[in-house]
Amino acid sequence: MKIDKNELVAKVREMKRNGFDYLVAITAVDYIKTVQALYFLRNLEDNKDEVLEIELPPDNPSLPTIIHLFKGANWYERELSEMFGIKIEGRNAKRLLLEKWDGKAAPLRKSFAWNAPYESSD
Amino acid sequence: MLIGSSYSLISTFNSWLSSGNILLNIAALIAYGIFISIILSVYDYLFGWAERKIIAKVQLRHGPTYVGKFGILQNLADVIKLLAKEHIVPDTADKFLYAIGLPAMMAISVLLVLVLPFSPYLQATNLTLGLLFVLVLLSFMPLFMFVSAYSTGNKFADISAQRSVLMMLSYELPMLIVFASVALLSKGFNISGIISAQSTTWFVWLMPIGFIVFFVTMLAELERPPFDFLEADSELIAGWLTDYSAPYYALSLFLDYTRMLFGSLIMAILFFGGWSGPFLPPIIWLLIKAVIISLFIIIIRTTLVRMRIDRMLKFGWVWMLPLSLVNLIITYMVFIH
Amino acid sequence: MRVVIDVPVRINVGPIHPSTHGVLRLVVDVEGDKIENMEAHIGFLHRGVEKLLENRMYMQACPYMEKLDYFAPMSYDELYVAAVEQAYGVEIKEKAMYVRTILLELQRIASHLASIGFLCNDIGQLFTAFMWSFKDRDMVLKLLEAATGTRMFYVNMRIGGLVRDLPPGFEDSTIELLDYLSKRIPMYEKYLEKNPVFMERNKGIGIISRDDAKNLGITGPVLRGSGVSYDIRKNKPYYVYEKLNFRTQVRNEGDNFARYKVRMLELRESIRIVREALKKMPSEGSAVGMPIRLIGPPVKNKITITERELPRGECMIYLVADPQRPYRAYIRSANFINLSAIEEMCKGQRFADLFSIIGGLDMVIADVDR
Repeated sequence: MKIDKNELVAKVREMKRNGFDYLVAITAVDYIKTVQALYFLRNLEDNKDEVLEIELPPDNPSLPTIIHLFKGANWYERELSEMFGIKIEGRNAKRLLLEKWDGKAAPLRKSFAWNAPYESSD
Repeated sequence: MLIGSSYSLISTFNSWLSSGNILLNIAALIAYGIFISIILSVYDYLFGWAERKIIAKVQLRHGPTYVGKFGILQNLADVIKLLAKEHIVPDTADKFLYAIGLPAMMAISVLLVLVLPFSPYLQATNLTLGLLFVLVLLSFMPLFMFVSAYSTGNKFADISAQRSVLMMLSYELPMLIVFASVALLSKGFNISGIISAQSTTWFVWLMPIGFIVFFVTMLAELERPPFDFLEADSELIAGWLTDYSAPYYALSLFLDYTRMLFGSLIMAILFFGGWSGPFLPPIIWLLIKAVIISLFIIIIRTTLVRMRIDRMLKFGWVWMLPLSLVNLIITYMVFIH
Repeated sequence: MRVVIDVPVRINVGPIHPSTHGVLRLVVDVEGDKIENMEAHIGFLHRGVEKLLENRMYMQACPYMEKLDYFAPMSYDELYVAAVEQAYGVEIKEKAMYVRTILLELQRIASHLASIGFLCNDIGQLFTAFMWSFKDRDMVLKLLEAATGTRMFYVNMRIGGLVRDLPPGFEDSTIELLDYLSKRIPMYEKYLEKNPVFMERNKGIGIISRDDAKNLGITGPVLRGSGVSYDIRKNKPYYVYEKLNFRTQVRNEGDNFARYKVRMLELRESIRIVREALKKMPSEGSAVGMPIRLIGPPVKNKITITERELPRGECMIYLVADPQRPYRAYIRSANFINLSAIEEMCKGQRFADLFSIIGGLDMVIADVDR
């Protein structure tokens, strides 16, 4: 289901009310022209799945947080912001989740060369 | 022949000790000291090896095999390795307390041989209040454990130190009460008296509850599983020993088995008639009893899960203390009154 | 001179610690013996597997997938191969389906046996249960070695099937092993559950309620231990699970003991599944798959979602396929999300309970970090 970034929180809240009360995963795919964020929700009782797709601009993408709806979104959102450089609004993580690097690049974006040595800015 | 010669040695020792000649007295004490060190070293070494072997057998492993026959020299190799390693004193440590903590514990546990008799004649002193002396020395243990844990300045050791105090609170009192009922039964605190009072029936048959309570408190005193909170290796790494390196670590291993020997000896003396037994010489009987108790303590280690420290406190006050009191009352009602 | 330590004491558990199951760092604030606050620091083993997959040919990626969860490598391998099969739209032979089911369940048995050993180790039973259960696990691994050729990292999945058929005599030795295991599992239960200290260390520890479990998104035996009956094998059957008779094991307590118990019950279910699958497996036909170059492009489904019930929980691959290699392969890892719940579980628990909780979660840190 394709939705807009602004209606994400409302949509997730509505779906949670309708029984989609299990967050499977949050991730993103870099299509170069756009970055597509994906929210996998599941209805455990009816055994139904729903994927929310949000198109984001490749430059300075950002998403609202849904941690107040799903506690399980905590690490997914942090991983998303570290791996794709997507800023999560409403969250200020004290530290990086995968903390062994400077967190400035976005490794899972296509612009990040996988085989070139990464110069840490620290 | 061996037995005969050892008897003649003991009688010589005894005559030296009672001769009133100060030089002969000192010579006798030195001889006794050497004798004790031999027993201690052999016991510690053999049990260091036996524990590894027994636990390995229970766990479907082989244990040490390479160094010496059946790996008997493995522990020697380990000790040599530990002694050859660098001795690192952490910066956060209180140097003085760090230096004396473990040696003091060792000294205190060896001090127990002052009153523990190995046979009717092999005894350094025959104190009237020998049992109290034992209790006082045992009570010093957690204190020094606290000091040596606290002195390293390691956080894991710190938690360990806090736990040692909690543990002392939980088992010291029941142990004291069991000591009291033993004294009540033998009508005195003299250890030779306790043993001679058991010449017909061992105390373990007269007060089984007391023995169980004492055994459990002794496990706690010796930090053996399931009460090994202080060195709980899955949570506190090595607890109060975390920052003790090389020679001190070797000393701590030595200390572990020394304490186990004295714990077993105390149990054998208080509940299993000490040196009394037919045919064999008294010292052999005492050592046999101590070794069997030690083996039992080792086997417990392979089977039980570690308890939690707060549960231990509850266990001590809700179960052990009432049980030991019940034991005291029964002892008084049945055997004295 | 000695530094005075503040209260609460901040303790670093790990990255090098006897019972963190890998390189996991837990920063724990302890007041007395109570955990005030806890933070999990991960990423020491981050290899960027998802990025690596984007730069490997399809079948080159299998070994990377296996190293994610080194206690259930075949399950991960199968998850990835199934995703590629779905992308190519390949039909799997019936015999291959049965063989895969059998091997996967054997892998689950091996993984759950290991978890029992780790749990006992973490709560301080100094290696006895660990060695016993690892001996049994090793017998399962020997069987898998007979079937695949290697003991741990199998890489035996191919498009549409496996590398080779099951060897002759495999069924008999499997039945023999299952008979042996069905005797051993009640024995473990007897020894552990009649031990009051073991029960005390696990009952009522790290409780996660049903609603919390859903909200946190935890999966696998941890989720089923909290009373949510959800198992991909049952709810979205793949391969021959539909035709087999088994139950989803659920416990309602939500504590550490429930997680252990669910694993114990699942061991029994897995034994049942393997027995039944062996009986129903067609005797004719081959389970051998094909090298990928025989299929070649074009990719039929551009975007596929593949879900599998791994021993440690539900894993998912979101695969955006290109002809030669994945454009993007997202791996939803069960351990990652289960570990993220540990902060919730540990609040107000004792410091010693932290380690029974870690043992009950049964994590593989390589899978958490990816």
